[in-house]
Amino acid sequence: MSTDVDAGAAVRFVDPTLVSATDPVVLRGGRCAACATRTFPMQPSCPLCFAEEMTAVDLPRTGTVWSWTSQHFGPKPPYRTPAGGFTPYLLGYVDLGDNLVVEARLEGDVADPPAIGDPVVLTTIDAFTDDDGTVVRTFAFTAAPEVAR
Amino acid sequence: MSRTASETPVYIVGAGIHEFGRFDGPTGLDLAETATRRALLDAGLTWSDVGYAVGGSNVSGKPDSLVGRLGLTGVPFPTVRNGCSTGGLALATAAHALRAGEAEVAAVIGFDKHPRGAFDPDPAAYGLGDWYAETGMMTTTQYFALKAQRYLHDHGISSTTLARVAAKAFTNAESHPHAWRRKPLTVEEILAAPPVNPPLTQYMFCSPNEGAVALVLATGERAFDLTDHPVLLASVAVRTRTFGSFEVFSPWLTSGNRTSPSVDAAAAAFERAGVSPADVQVAQLQDTESGAEVIHMAETGLCEHGEQEDLLASGATDFDGRIPVNTDGGCLANGEPIGASGLRQVHEVVRQLQGRAPGLQAPGAPRVGFTHVYGSPGTSACTVLTV
Repeated sequence: MSTDVDAGAAVRFVDPTLVSATDPVVLRGGRCAACATRTFPMQPSCPLCFAEEMTAVDLPRTGTVWSWTSQHFGPKPPYRTPAGGFTPYLLGYVDLGDNLVVEARLEGDVADPPAIGDPVVLTTIDAFTDDDGTVVRTFAFTAAPEVAR
Repeated sequence: MSRTASETPVYIVGAGIHEFGRFDGPTGLDLAETATRRALLDAGLTWSDVGYAVGGSNVSGKPDSLVGRLGLTGVPFPTVRNGCSTGGLALATAAHALRAGEAEVAAVIGFDKHPRGAFDPDPAAYGLGDWYAETGMMTTTQYFALKAQRYLHDHGISSTTLARVAAKAFTNAESHPHAWRRKPLTVEEILAAPPVNPPLTQYMFCSPNEGAVALVLATGERAFDLTDHPVLLASVAVRTRTFGSFEVFSPWLTSGNRTSPSVDAAAAAFERAGVSPADVQVAQLQDTESGAEVIHMAETGLCEHGEQEDLLASGATDFDGRIPVNTDGGCLANGEPIGASGLRQVHEVVRQLQGRAPGLQAPGAPRVGFTHVYGSPGTSACTVLTV
């Protein structure tokens, strides 16, 4: 968990429109009023039935790893390199059920990656730091407690 | 929709390439001019014979400005810009214009000159928020790795097969005069190379670089007047993604009903040409990385999902195998100047069908060729070429 910031340091979520709550974090998706297709993030129209009425919906906080990889070189901007410099990180797609899979950073060590099918739960991680010292957090999935290694 | 007897046949009568690599000095437009002059020479034509032109470059200049160098003939000259599938889209656009009677001879020109390193796309250009790139999820290499990882899991493909794809590419490139990375590497060396995004290592990825390709197309009788060996563009088909495909820069996916624009474009190209994937004797598939070639083998219908493990192990996709794939080393060995890449594929298959491959010639005088180019955010273009 990402609580290792200085007490009193300002914190912001990278894009508040992605979430309906931050403690604990809940992802905010879109749900088509006509065919119930869900998207993430929320978008104004349905990519399946083309209806133009989507409503916000809270997405499940648990899922299973659908695919994973790790990033071993520092991406070019607009990637924001963390304050301590680039270190390789895990990311993947998480199956939230009912035909919705969401891409996210995965918490953990690249030397000990998850396996497809591992249960995971939503959390937040520190992604980078603004010039004024504000810590910027984003959503991520981490190993569910029952399989924590 | 089958090709009708009344439809005007379109042939490729000339092909020219400025080899891919990294070059100090020449601009993207310089490379394009060289490739165009070579294609015209190959066809025995001059620029004034060209009645329609289509150009494509992702980042390296306005293609239609080439008229200032090639000749101010007044030729119609649309340009396309469709990411890595730009070359295929340019070819399709020119072919459609010829079939519509706009001209008898068309030029198709694709080029690019990229800086080193992975691409750095702008999230807004893809309809995404800045968060997606800022938090490190907007790197094309990640997409390929995530897709390959899942594909290997679903279809029982080993990472050794990924390495075999790359080893084949460099072997094919070793004797190819246009190829960029010509040093053969063993499967073991490729597997042991530093990871970029697991399961993909450094040598399993192509790199953006520089280059240009031009083709000259002609209709019907005109084609046979120009050359004894015209190659028929039996079909060209373009498709974008439909619901359920797994594309680059996707913050979300569906878990089932997997489809892809490559499945759709290939099926349309084969149907329109009236040939079956089993008829293909030489193929070029988008191999941005090793996993892409493996996946595209099945998505285009050249094999079943999972069959790639045995096909790569047995050498079936080697230049002298049952279905040679990427005989010039593909993107892995040539690099990827985006606007030129899809046309490089066609250039190589044209030469294979003409029996004058610059590198390793597929034996047995192949008569049916196939090309497949794929680009973000989910566009594929396929051709069937025959002699």
